[in-house]
Amino acid sequence: MYGDLGLKLVQHAKRTQSLPQLPPYQSDIVRSVTREVRDLDRDVTEILEPFNGHFDPAEEPATACSLLVHHLCMRRNKRCLLAYHRVRVEAIEEMCWSGSDLLEQVQASQNKVAEGGAGIGSAEGSGASSLSPEEEEYARQYGDLLAAYKGQWTDIDLTGSLEPPRDLFIDVRVLKDAGEIQTEYGAITLTKNSQFFVRQGDVERLIAQGFLQKLN
Amino acid sequence: MSYYDIDAILTDAQKVPCTFEITIPGLGYLEGNSNIDIKQGTRVELPLWLAEMLGVSQRLGTEQNVISLDLPPALAPRVQNALKANPCTVDLRSLASHYYSLGERILGLLEEDELVDILSETFKKRAAEIADHAHNPQGVISSGGEFLKGLDENERQLFKTAHESAKAIRAFLSDRSSGKK
Repeated sequence: MYGDLGLKLVQHAKRTQSLPQLPPYQSDIVRSVTREVRDLDRDVTEILEPFNGHFDPAEEPATACSLLVHHLCMRRNKRCLLAYHRVRVEAIEEMCWSGSDLLEQVQASQNKVAEGGAGIGSAEGSGASSLSPEEEEYARQYGDLLAAYKGQWTDIDLTGSLEPPRDLFIDVRVLKDAGEIQTEYGAITLTKNSQFFVRQGDVERLIAQGFLQKLN
Repeated sequence: MSYYDIDAILTDAQKVPCTFEITIPGLGYLEGNSNIDIKQGTRVELPLWLAEMLGVSQRLGTEQNVISLDLPPALAPRVQNALKANPCTVDLRSLASHYYSLGERILGLLEEDELVDILSETFKKRAAEIADHAHNPQGVISSGGEFLKGLDENERQLFKTAHESAKAIRAFLSDRSSGKK
């Protein structure tokens, strides 16, 4: 029946809300739902054709009702589509704020696209990432927007941790090579598997990005 | 209730039994046969989002109703009696995943004064039981599993919130006492 696919999308969205990571974009279902809307619209045009624009609902209650059902189905599908995308967009925005490796993920899939060549690559590349191409674009632009917003206050890190630190200095272990960073006490070179005693404020970003691990 | 609220959309997807009062061309797919007219007097289960709008004419008092609505099985007298007898033994989730929301929507469409009291009484009784389980993690394992499985979506949220708040308070208190030492 009409509207069943939309429901499937919403059930996906419901599951998405309780998952820590964003599941793959359901491009097949989204496409089917939009096709359903287009079919319904064509049916409505067909039904209205014999009336030449002079349709009186009072004279033809049965036809009017059929039109109403078609219209309601379209509206329902629209609501399902919008709600599904909104849940995903909210998750993406949250990822941008928490500074997780969303952009890295996007980068990785882009590289795959570049390797796979122009034509087929774009389709396969987006399959590897859990975001649709539009969502990747959204994430990138939202990230830019967030960076511009944060740039207004150089002395506050808006995306920093809200938990007050217990110690000024912490032990960290390097999980991935991160190159050289500048601190108040000079430069440190972060090579994999090495361990440092550094000021927490200097490395907070790197911990969030997963380069360093905090040791107790 | 927001347009984008996932739970609201899922509430709307729950089915209500309806009877068609007029013959409508080309709507056979609602019944499962495509391209056949739907006949007067056909009984079908329609999702709430469709049934509500079609049923509205009923309340406006137009000459001919498009469809007439019935109580969904989840709210039938049999279930009402069970809830009256003991609210905590009924598995609401198997009846409808958004049970209270469904009841709320149905009450907007049908006049069922008794149902209002039954539902609010049920919620009150069950809420106390839920709070009990949420604060005693041991109790959940031994006896409450069956009951907790039958919670509807709103009650699940309630359970989760109660459980997490109890945990947060415990964490806060232990944090404070360890800070003093």
